[in-house]
Amino acid sequence: MSEHKSIIIDLEETEIANLSEFGDLSTIKTTGILSVNNVSERCRVWNVRVLVPDEREGTDIQEDTLIAGEIEAGGKWEHAYTVDVSAPIVTLTETYDTCSDFGGDLPNWAYVHGKETKVKVTLHLKNETDAQLENVILNKTIPPELTNVEISSVKSGNAEYDEGTRQVVWRDLVIYPNEESTLVLTGISRVDDVEIRNAGEIVVTYKAENLQRSSLKPDMTALTEFLTGIETAETEPNEWECTLECSNESDLMVRLDKAEVYLIPEDGGEKVKKIEEAPALEMIPGQEWSSTFEVSSKSPPKCTQEVIYTPMNRVTSRVIGTIEKAGQPIPVAHITYTKVFDPPEVNSFDKTPVEVDIEVKNAGTAKLNSIKIVDKLPDDVMPPKTEHVSIWVRGEEYTGEFKVTVDPDDQNPETPHTMTFEILNLKDTVGELEPGESVKVNYAIMAWRSRPEKEYPSPIEIYANTHPEGVTADAISEPDTHKIGILYKKRRISVKKAINKGANAGEYIILLVVENKGEVTVENVKVTDWIPSAFEYVSTDPMEEEPSVTEVEDCSAMTWIWTRMNPGDQKKLRVSVKGEGEYERREPEVVSD
Amino acid sequence: MGSGSLLKMTYMGHTTFRFETDEVSLLVNPGIWDDEPVVPADHDVRVIAVTNHVNDALGNATEIAENAKAWILGNEATIQKAQAQGGKPWLLHVLRSETPYEIPGMKLTPFSLSRNDIERGGRFENLGFYIEMGKMKIAYLGDTVVRGPFGQLEIDIMITPIGGNDVFEVKDATSLCIDAKPRVVFPMRWTSPEQPKKFMRYIDQFGQGTNALVLEPGQVFQAEWAAGNEFRYKVD
Repeated sequence: MSEHKSIIIDLEETEIANLSEFGDLSTIKTTGILSVNNVSERCRVWNVRVLVPDEREGTDIQEDTLIAGEIEAGGKWEHAYTVDVSAPIVTLTETYDTCSDFGGDLPNWAYVHGKETKVKVTLHLKNETDAQLENVILNKTIPPELTNVEISSVKSGNAEYDEGTRQVVWRDLVIYPNEESTLVLTGISRVDDVEIRNAGEIVVTYKAENLQRSSLKPDMTALTEFLTGIETAETEPNEWECTLECSNESDLMVRLDKAEVYLIPEDGGEKVKKIEEAPALEMIPGQEWSSTFEVSSKSPPKCTQEVIYTPMNRVTSRVIGTIEKAGQPIPVAHITYTKVFDPPEVNSFDKTPVEVDIEVKNAGTAKLNSIKIVDKLPDDVMPPKTEHVSIWVRGEEYTGEFKVTVDPDDQNPETPHTMTFEILNLKDTVGELEPGESVKVNYAIMAWRSRPEKEYPSPIEIYANTHPEGVTADAISEPDTHKIGILYKKRRISVKKAINKGANAGEYIILLVVENKGEVTVENVKVTDWIPSAFEYVSTDPMEEEPSVTEVEDCSAMTWIWTRMNPGDQKKLRVSVKGEGEYERREPEVVSD
Repeated sequence: MGSGSLLKMTYMGHTTFRFETDEVSLLVNPGIWDDEPVVPADHDVRVIAVTNHVNDALGNATEIAENAKAWILGNEATIQKAQAQGGKPWLLHVLRSETPYEIPGMKLTPFSLSRNDIERGGRFENLGFYIEMGKMKIAYLGDTVVRGPFGQLEIDIMITPIGGNDVFEVKDATSLCIDAKPRVVFPMRWTSPEQPKKFMRYIDQFGQGTNALVLEPGQVFQAEWAAGNEFRYKVD
């Protein structure tokens, strides 16, 4: 490279790219300034023409030649243009993972209402060119819900977090050709409402020297202070030596491209080319060049010349870029539920089917992909058969894959059961559950002889998650909630006894009247009466109500058991006994479930 | 299916059923609903049993009985009403609770149950029938709101109302089936199409061996004890 000055043709191209909230390229605009800089300290250049013959494609430059006119020493001429490009020279990617604890290849993208989540933000820059990126600065706005922000790792450059401005600034960054660099931030988020959050904007600026987005290869022609002339000297009589002399009088490098001299014959006729050179000579300031020919002529020869030169130039270029990425929206996962028994209360000691309706609503702003319901049924309840559980999504019966389990896997009403309903992978069946939509689960249980003195809570736990899975959103009831109401129906069983004389001496008719005077059916009614030891059992009317008679200590015990007595049911028993002596009265006993 | 112990049961509509064996035929509750008799007056049958005196139970039983020379069985109020309608005294028979009525091929034991009196409040008597025909034990609850002894009886076929108001609700019928464990149960007298569906669902889940079937009017159910101990049935 010559130390002497050359005209500078400069291409400065600026790209401004906007990325969407999810990192897709929204817009990119690239503009350029082509400038001719006369770096001479004293010499003007004129007849300046910038040549862009074949590489204008992709720009809005219409002509092969741009007329720049004259440019004073130290002056500049500029021409603006645009360039069509499809992508910036830097690729920015942001991964905002709201659940960095959770494994998996895909990041989670939602907060969870009322829960802390560990957030990991990965910022990645890739130089897509063969030039070096310099002065790279990245600014990331940190959203207000993120606390405990730390720079976890930085591959190159320096990154700092300013808590006052809530900005992370990554600077002093140089990215070599086709290389990349990464910054990782961590923080803790917590939100207590469901408003969609903004993960924070990113602005990246950078510069790459000796790089251009257009394909322009500009050149130029111009004139400057350059001396040319023909000297004719007689060496012998009528013999002449003609010399073309050129001198670069400017302080710029000049290239001599063409030198031609024509002799005009004394006797007329066509001129004759005597010098024809294309030296392409790069002449430093003050440098001279000459070329000579000899000719015989009685009079001093007459010559004309044609000299083409131009100030030399060099082309510089750079790309200056800005990428602005919109903040990623971060929705919030949240669920609410209702659980309803129909009827809400059942009669005590009865067997009553009860419909259970559970509605889980997506009360957040994030789409949900899976719902899990754990419903705990108390004892004295018969759980349903799993095939009779129906699930509804958006008001339509859901026929996709779901899983229902009952633990223990039986219908024994004497033990508590846990029902689990899992609706997974909604995105591949009926689509994820959008905010405001709900899932309903319906099934029936059988309240089985519920006791009025007991409580029958049926707590519920509901879990929901997004795809990919992150921290689980949940709605968990208190342990003693969702009680099955028990309508207390009084049990009242009476036993009346009369001892009447029989037809013959020593014969007695024992009349027993057992009556359910209560409001509910009673089961396993056991009535016991006793026959004194001096007497023996003979018969019962009606005959089908024959008691079991057993000997106990000093008497005989008669026992009747009825599996069920409805309200108002009455049993009249006439028991014949016979024996001797006094028939001592003893009150009968009645017990029931 | 073979004959002999074969019971043929035809659902006539509403609460009306016809039972038939080789020996005898029985029509239960030939009611009139919205001024339309469920059974035509020229229906040929041997015995007509009616659970209560209301028109949706007694219906045109008197006319059918006269044409077919069939007996009408019912409680005091029912028979009185039949008499008032011109029923021939020799074709009328008052049933007493728990006192069986028996003819060759059929034994019918009535049990006093109750039906809600929607118009005047309170309740009036409705008989539930325990019918033994063709070796089958049939419980026909009629228009009842109480179960009486039917939860403790051995029952092969049960017919129970489920419509609520003056009769059982679905839950009451379900509860009875769980206790009685009939082999087959037929709901009747529903007031919305959801009720039989719900009843079927409950029985399927909690019935512990009971099959619930819903018949369309005109459909015929046949059951028998094959080889003496295997309960078989089919619905045409």
